[in-house]
Amino acid sequence: MSASWKQLLFQILLLLVSCRRINTKTPGPTPPPLVPITSLPTDERSASLEGNQNKLPNITGFWRKDGDEVENSQVTVQLEGDQYKLKRVFSIVSEESLGSYSCVFGSEEAKIEFVLAAPQIGEVRDKPIVSYVGDSGVIACKMEETKPKPITWNWYKANGTDKEQIFAVAELLRYEIKNEERKTKLVVHNLTEADGGLYYCGAVYAISTTMSHVELKVISFQEPLKPFIAIVIEVSVLVAAILLYERCQSKKNYTAGNGTIDQTNTMTQGENNEPEESSSVRQRKI
Amino acid sequence: MYVSLCLNRNMSPALANDLGYKPLDGGWGWMVVVGAHISIGFAYSTPKVLSIFFEEIQENLGASYREIAWISSIMLAVMYAGGPVSSVLVSRFGSRPIVILGGLLCGVSMVTASFGNSIVYLYLCIGVIGGCGLSLNLNASLTIISKYFLNKRPLANGLAMAGSPVFLCIMAPVNQYLLQKFGWRGSLFILGGLMLNCCVAGALMRPVVLPRKPSTCAAQKNVEEEPNECNTKQKRSCMNNAKTFLDFTFFKDRGFVIYLIGNILFIFGAYAPIVFLSAYAISQGVEEYSAAYLLSIMGFVDMFVRPGTCLIASSKWIRPRIQYFFGFAMVFNGTCHLLCPLIKSYAFLVTYAVFFGVGFGMVFGLIFECLMDLMGNQRFPSAVGLVTIIECFPMLLGPPAAGLLVDVFGDYKYIFFMCGSVIVAGGVFIFVMNIYNYHMLEKEKPAKVREQNQMTIENQASASA
Repeated sequence: MSASWKQLLFQILLLLVSCRRINTKTPGPTPPPLVPITSLPTDERSASLEGNQNKLPNITGFWRKDGDEVENSQVTVQLEGDQYKLKRVFSIVSEESLGSYSCVFGSEEAKIEFVLAAPQIGEVRDKPIVSYVGDSGVIACKMEETKPKPITWNWYKANGTDKEQIFAVAELLRYEIKNEERKTKLVVHNLTEADGGLYYCGAVYAISTTMSHVELKVISFQEPLKPFIAIVIEVSVLVAAILLYERCQSKKNYTAGNGTIDQTNTMTQGENNEPEESSSVRQRKI
Repeated sequence: MYVSLCLNRNMSPALANDLGYKPLDGGWGWMVVVGAHISIGFAYSTPKVLSIFFEEIQENLGASYREIAWISSIMLAVMYAGGPVSSVLVSRFGSRPIVILGGLLCGVSMVTASFGNSIVYLYLCIGVIGGCGLSLNLNASLTIISKYFLNKRPLANGLAMAGSPVFLCIMAPVNQYLLQKFGWRGSLFILGGLMLNCCVAGALMRPVVLPRKPSTCAAQKNVEEEPNECNTKQKRSCMNNAKTFLDFTFFKDRGFVIYLIGNILFIFGAYAPIVFLSAYAISQGVEEYSAAYLLSIMGFVDMFVRPGTCLIASSKWIRPRIQYFFGFAMVFNGTCHLLCPLIKSYAFLVTYAVFFGVGFGMVFGLIFECLMDLMGNQRFPSAVGLVTIIECFPMLLGPPAAGLLVDVFGDYKYIFFMCGSVIVAGGVFIFVMNIYNYHMLEKEKPAKVREQNQMTIENQASASA
């Protein structure tokens, strides 16, 4: 057991290190975690083959994109020292060029995957924002500082399975979009129940737009009113009960105690438990 | 008529029973403790748990974090500053109507705040009105405990003060749930309803009925206190109440001044470690969720330590010298803080959180019991008002001063050094000065006994005549 576990661990560790692959891109957004501009962005990963005691001098390798084999990508790879290196230059020109790329050695003996995508919005709020009918709802989206700035932001409202873009210019009284470089806010004024649902914010990059969603829930004011009224009733009942009990008690004491009202709240023989050598007390015997 | 007076050697010299009657020390008194527990619980926990709503309010109203954080600060400041006013009201009207009024004010404040659209509106509603309500609650609850308990008073105080961590632990998840279900507006609305439960607490605070016979009036006269209870002196008692509004004669009392100075030092250093503990833990490499957990541990330990400490304090060895115990508790708390920067691993941080909870609980369990012990039951309401308004300043200055230290030195450990040393200084001051104080009180005791015996002889003579 331990040998194969060790090998698997080794493989995973190596996957994070390097496997040569160079790709060029047109100026625009970069795949994580590389920073573009001058040099050709390179992503390099590696994996190890199982049972690598007998290394063949040649091995075939090819590339796949999104599960489909890339045409004319099959190459024979020479053993260089202890490594097989498979390199290819991919041009990322449009959104279709993004996706999941994998390099395969032999017949599925080793496979390494690269995911090329526009920067994803990291913090997705999973809980809905709750707002009230007639109030203004504010929904916000943020791109992390470590990721590149988007060119602009768009907002969409879910309409069934579709997304409909919100143009704040068209409906100034209803919607307000405030865009800063890495943050965006959508303010929906005068909410109605129909305004509830999923809203999508899209960070627009030259290569594509990444989406994130937030749910807006619009409830009427009666929702919190119900528990509130329940609590008010509970408080009134308890207060009334306590005061009534007190009145009954004091009546009992009044009739039983010869008019000495102070017996209820001042200690006399009944309540006095321990031999009180410890109190400085004036004892009155009348 | 047989009148006897015996000063017990077991009690501290200052613990003469100046109520004029023997308190219940049980019975309905425990229901009063429940009421005080609820009332004090809301008073101390509300400013802290409101911070759960801040992020949403911030987003909705478009304010900065600093502006929002002022809501809690204003609420705390008004709660403490309202002490003298609430003392006067409690002396005049008794605890029950004041706590009911406090509960209504808090309820109204939260409900009106839920309709707010600007930060200033929230400052007024939650900060000012809410703060006033809480200040009425706090003062009245402490006062009524002193009326119902004498022998078991430390335990009653400890149980009542335990309301603060208990309610913190309850209200935090409740508020989270409300926020998710109803948003911040609905949550404030429902929170207002929940705070109306202070009215239930008030209903439990049955007023103590004092005997008002003219013959007993003379017998009750105590040399030190103004005779407020006498029927014949009603008009003068009103004026006396007004004089005790901000009674600076308290500063002539040695014990009070010692207590006050020690307390100021403690409060200055008490809250900053709580505020910065998570940040410190994160800076030491602890992950965020575990760092927040440290505070929960502290609160949980606090819950049990408060009544536990007071149980120990009510024992016959400690009760007469309770001020020493108080000083020791402060030194313990301060030492924990001083040792904190020396530890690096999470396991040790958890241990620190536990000891912090113990130290914090010990001090806060005893803090008002010691004042009652010093001032006696008659002067306590005005004394506590004066103490809280003075404590307002170190409480508001402490965390920002600590924050300044972080900004200047860039390291959280200096906060712990500062707070630890300030608290230890306060504890040592109380301990040492009380040696002197108890010594002086012992010296003054024979003179007092002679005076009071003189009084009783006079009463006997007038009564039999």
